[in-house]
Amino acid sequence: MRKAMLAAGAAVAAAALLAGCSSTSGSGSDATADTNLSATISYAFWDSNQKPAMDALIKDFNKTYPKIKVTEQITPYQNFFTKLQTQGSSKTLPDVFWMNGPNFQLYASNDMLEPIGSGIDPSNYPASLNELYSYDGKQYGAPKDFDTIGVYYNKAIFDKAGVAYPTANWTWDEFHQKAKAISDKLKGDGIYGVASGLSGGQEVYYNTILQAGGSIISKDGKKSGYSDPKSIKGLQFVRDLIADGSSPTPSQLSDTPQDQWFINGKSAMFWSGTWVNAELLGSPVKDSIALAPLPKDERSATVIHGLANVVAKSSKNKPAAVAFQTYLAGKKAAEIQAQMGAANPAYNDTQQAFVKSAPWDLNIFLTEAKDSSFPYPISKNTAAWNKLESDLLPDAFDGKRPVAEVAKELAEKMNAALAKE
Amino acid sequence: MSSAVEVRPKGTRAWLGTGATHIVLIVASVFMVFPFIWQILMSLSTNAQVTSVPPTVWPGELHWENFAHVFDQLPFLNQFWVSVAVTVIRTVGQLLLCSMAGYAFARMDFPFKRTIFGLVLAILMVPPQVYLLPQYQIVQGLGWLNTIAGIAAPGIFSAFGTFLMRQFFLGLPDELSEAARLDGANHFQIFWKVMLPLAKPGLSALAIITVLASWNDLLWPLIVATDSTQMPLSAGIATLTSQRSIPDYPLLLAASLLAMAPVLILFLIMQKRVIDGIAFSGMK
Amino acid sequence: MMSTSTITGKAGAVATTAAPATTGRGGRRRPSRGSSRAKKTEWLWAAVFVLPLLFGVVVFYIWPIIRNAYFSFTTWGVFGGATWSGLNNYETLLADPMFWRSILNTLIYVGFLLLGIPLAVVFASLINRPGLRFASVYRTAFFLPYVAMPAAVSMVWRIIFNGDFGMLNYVLSLVGIKGPNWLSTEWIALIAVGIVGMWISVGFNLIVLSAGMKGIPPEMYEASSLDGASRLRQFFSITVPLLSPSIFFVSVMTVITGFQLFDLLYALMGTQNPAINNTQSMVYLFFQHQQTGDNGYAAAVGMAILVLVGVFTILQFRMQKRWVNYV
Repeated sequence: MRKAMLAAGAAVAAAALLAGCSSTSGSGSDATADTNLSATISYAFWDSNQKPAMDALIKDFNKTYPKIKVTEQITPYQNFFTKLQTQGSSKTLPDVFWMNGPNFQLYASNDMLEPIGSGIDPSNYPASLNELYSYDGKQYGAPKDFDTIGVYYNKAIFDKAGVAYPTANWTWDEFHQKAKAISDKLKGDGIYGVASGLSGGQEVYYNTILQAGGSIISKDGKKSGYSDPKSIKGLQFVRDLIADGSSPTPSQLSDTPQDQWFINGKSAMFWSGTWVNAELLGSPVKDSIALAPLPKDERSATVIHGLANVVAKSSKNKPAAVAFQTYLAGKKAAEIQAQMGAANPAYNDTQQAFVKSAPWDLNIFLTEAKDSSFPYPISKNTAAWNKLESDLLPDAFDGKRPVAEVAKELAEKMNAALAKE
Repeated sequence: MSSAVEVRPKGTRAWLGTGATHIVLIVASVFMVFPFIWQILMSLSTNAQVTSVPPTVWPGELHWENFAHVFDQLPFLNQFWVSVAVTVIRTVGQLLLCSMAGYAFARMDFPFKRTIFGLVLAILMVPPQVYLLPQYQIVQGLGWLNTIAGIAAPGIFSAFGTFLMRQFFLGLPDELSEAARLDGANHFQIFWKVMLPLAKPGLSALAIITVLASWNDLLWPLIVATDSTQMPLSAGIATLTSQRSIPDYPLLLAASLLAMAPVLILFLIMQKRVIDGIAFSGMK
Repeated sequence: MMSTSTITGKAGAVATTAAPATTGRGGRRRPSRGSSRAKKTEWLWAAVFVLPLLFGVVVFYIWPIIRNAYFSFTTWGVFGGATWSGLNNYETLLADPMFWRSILNTLIYVGFLLLGIPLAVVFASLINRPGLRFASVYRTAFFLPYVAMPAAVSMVWRIIFNGDFGMLNYVLSLVGIKGPNWLSTEWIALIAVGIVGMWISVGFNLIVLSAGMKGIPPEMYEASSLDGASRLRQFFSITVPLLSPSIFFVSVMTVITGFQLFDLLYALMGTQNPAINNTQSMVYLFFQHQQTGDNGYAAAVGMAILVLVGVFTILQFRMQKRWVNYV
């Protein structure tokens, strides 16, 4: 993995001396120590809410590298990867850009990404994230932030229904009981015990599958885990919540997203990540909100996902791009992100500012990341089987077809898709 | 002869007819317009009010600052000028090219006329995403990425515009061009001096529709433009949406109302001047 | 626009001194020019008129279609690497129940849009009544949906159609009906999308039809009033036939754009909607396969759309003879 190092051996030594870098485990090009480097690079991302933070990061970066001009390219999420594909097909990729789990392997396997700069030390980030952004033994993504899933709950509704709050080690049964009790009691007011998003598995069903001891995809990314009886158990758990009225139906959740139910006091709980933090802080129910870890079944489990900053292999300004990526992966950048409430940074032990940003116990997310997190399931063509999930699972959750039957069909089709990769 | 001649029907029966007409039109208009009224109300509310369930229709306090906020979030003026530039280029281009081609298809004879027209029409029958990558690569080759030229270029060539103008020219009588031809005019003179003035209704319809299509065009400008100052308004507003959390509805809706205003004003002006008072001159 | 000589009582037939309409495309075949030299001049002029447009069309549009046709015979991943696979994609396509369902959905949607055309004709004739007060106000009202940004408009409609908290279901509940989840229930979602599509397209149709109406001389209405014809009779014997070229145009464009249904579907329903799989239009199917990296198959869907729309359009052009009057 150190071939690039050998070629640039002298430069590495010089860089290490000058920049005082210690461990260099990235196998990509050197983070240039030349602070006089002059270049213009583009940085593409999608969340305009995070723009102020990105602006701040660029400003801070320019303190060390005053002559590198960074232009931002913001594209809305729903068009981001279409545009990226177009750019990828014509070698006009932005120099540095955000990457997420589902799309990562597509770009990595097609040789579009540069391995992470040598100034980036993976031991600074959760292992699951490093794993997520590695392909074929090399790491390509510098983790930027991460999310695990927890249960936000509304204390006022719990009080109104006379139900005890969640505890730190609560189980599926306890969760289900509480949800059902609240739904039964407050049905007349149109309040549900739990209303969680079923579009995509990150919030709910990936987690329940893992908690039941099952899996979504095998470690080598070649086989589907859906036909595993434990995975089916995880799916059944979700169906049961809907079946007895603890949760609204998939159609209802499609019309009205989970956070809307919650911030309007129409649901007592919902499973979600740090990305809703800002919204919750600005909501009418903010004074009643608390956070609990996910309930456990056979084990505690949550998927962990986060964005990464990647450098395009076709970049014409690689030294500058790598310098920027290295900066973004550093401690200062992480602290700025945390302070500005932009995201929960991936760099170990920088999350305190973010944790302090809300009155509820955000530390739960961090503990989960350390103790019970599993990498978000991906493969080279994640989109193909994600589509199968959204095609087939609603019928199972709705009760139109038995869960086991749907799961087996999903596994079959998913295996066929994986075989094509 | 002027189409503005009043033929007011007389008598009670006629009066009832007019009354009924108004009632029908009012009901229909309300149906057309009420989502906008709501959009205006939502743009003057807070996000909490918009996302409250059940929705709060009347915000109580009117939050005009949402509109001011738009200018903080977007380089509104830059994007406005980009929208204008792209739209003007496209519209003028189409008016010229499509009226010429439509005229030829309608009133001239040449080999393979039908096939060529069919070919032109066929480009409307494929999903637009088919064009995305090839057009991107052509524009890239021309060095027009992230420029107004690049955004405007493909939209100048319109099958819809050609079809529309063809239909209009087909509806014009032969006598006029025959007369001009006997006077010794060539094709271009006939086109420019005789036919084109007659096709004003068609041209204004084409202009309005092209202006709108260009103004609201989203996907192509998003792909071609990388700097937010080089994007038209439609694309700029789209960047205000976020991936997961509930978007800032009032901001988005206010921005879209602001973006809609210029075109609406244009329509109001054009309507009065062009559509309303057109004197459809025939024989002199 | 036409001589005021005679107006017969027969629906649509007006005597003019022009040559009668002959060809199936509604184009008039002009009396032969005679010399081949004159013909060649005409061809040259035609070239001048048509080539600028044609050049752009070929470069920007025809070429991509040809490329697409080629790719429909390949297995094509996201970043190149297209391998020839012959008729594979097409065989899979014809056997794919989602493909046929998407055709059905698209046809239903087009049906909704076509229903909007007679409505637009009626509204256009009402608005364009000479001397109608507030005509421009009405016209603006009808046009508004078309002016708005589709994304914003869809947001409002999503809120209206919301199953639990939406305006529509609220109104229905006042009369005791429990409304469904409009945008996330199979079949019903298609109706909701159709309604919004119709709502948007009426404005467009109105503009074109109004422009067409301006070409109908008021004398015709005057004369027939004097003959004692009622408003209704006038509508059917004067307005509709003389407006037929515009109506034809509007219906051809409606079918073509209806088949391209995608943006509205995406904005109103989104990709994670439980009903989207069953409500997808043909272009949505195309989009889905692009998203999952199956670009060859998507290309085949694109070609299928082209063929289908092409057939419908040709049929419409053929049927022109029977009802469209070019005077």
